[in-house]
This record gives sequence, C-alpha cells and structure tokens, in this order.
Amino acid sequence: MFGGAKIKIDKELLAKVKKYADIAGYSSAEEFITHTIEKEIAKLEEADSEEDIKKKLQGLGYIS
Amino acid sequence: MYDMIFKRGRSNLKSKSKVLVRIILLFAIIPFLIIGCGKKAETSDTKKKVLILGFDGMDPIILRKMMDEGRMPNFKKLAEEGSFKELQTSNPPQSPVAWSNFITGMNPGGHGIFDFVHRDPKTLFPYLSTSRTEAGKKSITIGDWVIPLESGKVELLRHGKSFWEILQSKGVPCTVYMIPSNFPPVECEAKTLSGMGTPDMLGTYGTFSYYSNVEPEMENGEISGGKYYEVYVKRNTVKAKIYGPKNTFRKGAPDCTVDFTVYIDPENPVAKIVLPNKEIFLKEGEWSEWIRIDFELIPYLQSVSGICRFYLKEVHPDFKLYVTPININPEDPALPISTPPDFSKELFENVGYFYTQGMPEDTKALSSGIFDDGEFIKQITLVHEEEVRNYHYLLSQFKSGLLFYYFSSTDQNAHMFWRLHDKNHPAFNQESYDKYGDVLEKVYEEMDDILGYTLKRIDDNTTLIIMSDHGFAPFYYSFNINTWLLNNGYVALIDPSKQGEEELFANVDWSRTKAYVLGLNALYINLAGREANGIVSPGDEYNQLVDELVEKLKKVVDPKTGKKVFRNVYKRDDIYSGPYVKDAPDILLGFARGYRISWEASLGKFPKELITDNMEAWSGDHCMAPEEVPGIILSNKKIVKENPALYDIAPTLLAEFGFEKEKEMVGSNIF
Repeated sequence: MFGGAKIKIDKELLAKVKKYADIAGYSSAEEFITHTIEKEIAKLEEADSEEDIKKKLQGLGYIS
Repeated sequence: MYDMIFKRGRSNLKSKSKVLVRIILLFAIIPFLIIGCGKKAETSDTKKKVLILGFDGMDPIILRKMMDEGRMPNFKKLAEEGSFKELQTSNPPQSPVAWSNFITGMNPGGHGIFDFVHRDPKTLFPYLSTSRTEAGKKSITIGDWVIPLESGKVELLRHGKSFWEILQSKGVPCTVYMIPSNFPPVECEAKTLSGMGTPDMLGTYGTFSYYSNVEPEMENGEISGGKYYEVYVKRNTVKAKIYGPKNTFRKGAPDCTVDFTVYIDPENPVAKIVLPNKEIFLKEGEWSEWIRIDFELIPYLQSVSGICRFYLKEVHPDFKLYVTPININPEDPALPISTPPDFSKELFENVGYFYTQGMPEDTKALSSGIFDDGEFIKQITLVHEEEVRNYHYLLSQFKSGLLFYYFSSTDQNAHMFWRLHDKNHPAFNQESYDKYGDVLEKVYEEMDDILGYTLKRIDDNTTLIIMSDHGFAPFYYSFNINTWLLNNGYVALIDPSKQGEEELFANVDWSRTKAYVLGLNALYINLAGREANGIVSPGDEYNQLVDELVEKLKKVVDPKTGKKVFRNVYKRDDIYSGPYVKDAPDILLGFARGYRISWEASLGKFPKELITDNMEAWSGDHCMAPEEVPGIILSNKKIVKENPALYDIAPTLLAEFGFEKEKEMVGSNIF
C-alpha cells in the first residue's frame, strides 16, 4: 500500500472506506484513500500562507 | 485567483491541441456566483433627482473651523440655505462597516460587516471582511498546462439589499460610483463601479513595485505594501520585469511577467522605458500616463491585462523607479468591477484610464520612505484629478434618478498628514510643516470647489446630500491590546521568551487563552464550540468574562498622560441587531481620541510595551469610539431628524422617490 509504505487505519473506518469507495465508483479502497489524501493536500497547498495573508492586507494602510 | 479571468481568444489557431484547449475553455466558463438583484425591472425617467456626494472621512470639527474662517464658501452657503449636522457613524467607525450601514439602512448585525478584517474562528486566519475569492477546483492537465474546467468564485460578503437595488427594481435609474463595500458589485441593472475592497491584479489591496540599484530601508527584507526589485545599471541600461498575477494555467502557477528595459541618458536626468508595445520618455520626478500591460497566460489564446503608471524618482547618481500597483484594466477587466460589465469600459471610453484599485492613494509608499511628502502629495493629486474628471463626466450624464459619487482624498490625506495639521502629534516635523502644513485644509478646499461646481449644475428637482462615513481624530498613541490581555492573564504564550516575534498568534497557547484581538476594534472570546481550541464555555462563563473584560478595559489609564485609553467598550448584543449578530466580535473597542490599536496587535502580535508613541506618517485615524468621530451631513433640504445616523440615509433615499423603507432597515427618513 502507498508505494510500499503501510499505514494503519481503524477497522471501522476501513469498512466505511470500502463501502464508499464502491459507491463512488473507485476501483479499490486504496485508490479512494489516495485520491482523498491528494485532494486534502491540494487544498492545503492552495491555502494562503501567513505571509500571503499579511501581504494582501498591507495595502489597506491600517495594518503594517 | 485569475483562472476566473474573462476569456479573450485569438482566431489564428492552427494546431489541433490549441483548438482542443479552446473548446475546453469555452465549456469551462461558469458565471460568477455573486449575489443577485432579483428580477429585472424597467426603468423610467424620474422628474425627481437625488445626488449624493460621499466625502470619505470628512470631519465636522475641521469643516466648521474652515467654514468659520471663510475657506469653505460653498459649504457655508449650503449649510445656511439648507442644513448641516453631524452624522452618527457606525460602531466601529471603519469605512467598510460605515458604508455598509449607509448602503443597507442596517447596523452591522444586519449586514454582517464588523471590521476591515474578519477571522476564520477555526484557523484564526484574517481576511478582508467584504469579499472572498476562491479559485476553481476542477481542472485538466495537458502537458505543462492546467486548464480549468470551472471558473473561480468571487463573492461579496456584505448582506442586505442596497438602496440602489431597491430603487432600480422600482424603476428609478441609479448610478453608483466607487462606493466602498461593494466588490464584486452586486449584480443588478444599476450602473455601478466597485470601490474600496477592489483588489489589484495580484489580488492584494495595493502592492507597488520599486526598482533600484540601492536597497531601500526595509523591515525583515520587506516593504509593507510594496515589493523591492534590485536592478543593476550596466552601460546606462536597466533590465527588469513587471510582475503580474500568478499564471494558474501553468503547472506550479508561476508569476506572469513582462520584460522592460530602461535606457538612461548618461548626462541628463531623463530615461526611456521600453515595454513590449510602448516606449515612454520620462524626466526625473515625472509620472507616465497609464500604460496597458498584457500578461500572456496561454500563448495566442489567453491573456489578461492590467494598467500601471511609472514614476521616475531618480536617474543619477542612483536609479530609482516606482511603479503603481497593477490595477484592473477598466477597458477589459479581469475581475467584475462594474454593473453592467461594460460600464467600466464606457467610463474608459469617455474619460480614459483611471485607478480601479480601492483606496488608490499609496500611503504605504509614503510610510516606507519610497515617497517623500511632496511625492505623495503629487500621487494623491493624480488620484483626485481622476476623481474630478470622472465626476464631471457622470454629472453631465445625470438626467434622472439617483447618482452617488465617492471621493477618497479627504480620508487618505487626513491619515497621512494629521502630523502636520496638529503640532501636538509625536510625529510633528517643523520642516515638513513649513512646506506642507496646509495640505489637509487644501484638500477640503478642493471639495468646496467640487460642491461649487455641483451647485451651479443642479436644478430645483434635485435633492443634494453631502455626507461622510466618519470624521477624524489624531492617532498619537498605539495601544497593544493583546499585550494587555497577556499581562492581565487572559492570554498564555507557549514560549514567553519569544514574545513579540511571532505573528498571527503563532506563539499562543490556546489551551490557556480566554480572549484575543484581531482587526482594528474587535475582541473575541476563545469560545468552546466556535474557536477551534475554545476553552470558555458558552453561557454563564462567557457572560461573566465579557462583563469582566468590559469593566476592566473601561478603567485602563495611560500612565504617561493620565487619560483613559477607552472612551467606551461595548458588548455586541447591546449595540447590534439582526441575523448576523452571532458572527460579530464579542466586544467592540471604543478607543478614546488620540488612541488606536497598535500596528502589531491588529494582526495578532504581542509586543513587550503596552503603549507607544505613533511615529508613523499614518498619523490620523478614526478606528476609535464612534462618539469621537462623527461624520457630516449637509443637504439643500431641511434635516428634521435629531442625531441623524448613517443607517437613516437608505430609508431617506427611498422616501425621496416615494417608497416605504424595507422592513429590515433600522433607520428612518431624516427629512
């Protein structure tokens, strides 16, 4: 799993993963988990950094 | 952000892949999700006309004094023949909040704007309160290209109907120019252009560029509100790039850039700037006209344009070039800035290019020393000249219905030059005073000229209202409110030895923190179930803590002056009403005249000192108690209402055209 690395997942959660992977049309639980993690990482990568946030607001003048 | 740009293709495509990309793009465009105005209404000419001029930050004390001195003859005439009163501002008296009160006839509990800056309670990250931009989530990757399959979303966060939506839907034609708190402009039939809150092409609220072979003074290698690019002068030539938005069509979303070259005259203080489609000759100390910059996103298929102006600060001995923030191009806007979408183009076709970024006066260029006082005055003069030119055009078109027009200079000028207006200010400088001591009053005189021009051109069927969103006060002292919370046991730090170094609460131990401040007047309780790591239980514990903080803060005294730091401190439930009270800060900080939140505390820092002198050029402010900074209202009609307030104006405008106010509105007709 995951290019040789093993990750422990709670039994109940794994059962849910299998169930919803099937419903959502994934070919396997592994594919579903991989895709979900990729999506979450993409979200974090998109999020503004603290520096970006500060830079955005500085032009207002009220904040340095 | 800019994968939501309006598409501009070219027809000379040959390869199959380009055709494929084009087809994908055509299917990809999804309309912006912005608040709609409801059903389309026919408009009809109205005999009745209402003209409102909004002078941001015009202060009743300064205005009265200048009227008494005979320096504001047109204001004096209007006050004598009509009415002049103080206008109660919003709580807090910050422009996005105040203009939202004006627009909707509600208080912040009704429209949901409580500060310039709001925070996400789950992450505590700050964001501009009035709008949110999200990139499209779905895309397809072809080689190095990332093609979006859905457009992004830009969303106005202000709630409540604007007066112009209501009037337009009832057949009254409205034109609303650069009103704050309306980006993206709420979709409707009225002609509107967005104002304060409109970003530049980088998605920031103003980031200028500075090119020089001499590094300017910077804090942590950065200029606040700007970007320094080191350049080299080789054989009287400088090569540099203009940086535009991120190209989200490319993997990794690199910055879009446009190359330019500067050829310096070896003897004379002049230079030639060569851009891809333009050559500009500038003398030292001279500004260019607006220049259109096209950033290519996908070769031959997709580009986005912005506009900027160049200021050649110095040629010899050192090279110093300032470039304005890249503004959204009104001729071809990359983001929605007007309704209908071609209204900004109509303006461009009739008056030329103009600043589209909200609050375009470059206060940060002055604060950082890139501009001196004289250079900043020149820049705000350019802004004001555009405002006047555009006003003359729109007034000439005004035949019916309602026209609102916004002027920003009264506000930004008072922020930057209070230190010359007031000899008690810690940053007062005699040398600057001798040169520019009258600059604040001169801007007021400019507004008197605008009023004189207006009075000559309106007829007897026109109700004229002159108003401001708040007044002004000195900003002598910075109060580190987060430090006060720390000193009084409401905040705990993870590593006390790092106090003052970390921003955005990075050093805060939330498991032992009960309250925090973010923004300019907002105090929040670290509430269980709301904040990600909240520890204060809702109910009795929350109520007791709020009461305790309010009482303690009201008693805070500055040991240096012996004065109270707060004129008043407010609980949200005592001052707000409406569906969004639940989103409000728990406590609103009403600073006394002369005091304001510190620069550091507004973004979650904990400096060691509690109160410091404000030595910045940004020397006047209004983020205080609303009682300290009322605005002004004048009209050619008698104002009968006692203590008129900002939220009374929307119901008044409806009444002027014979309509009842909306049930959500808390204000009432002032006439």
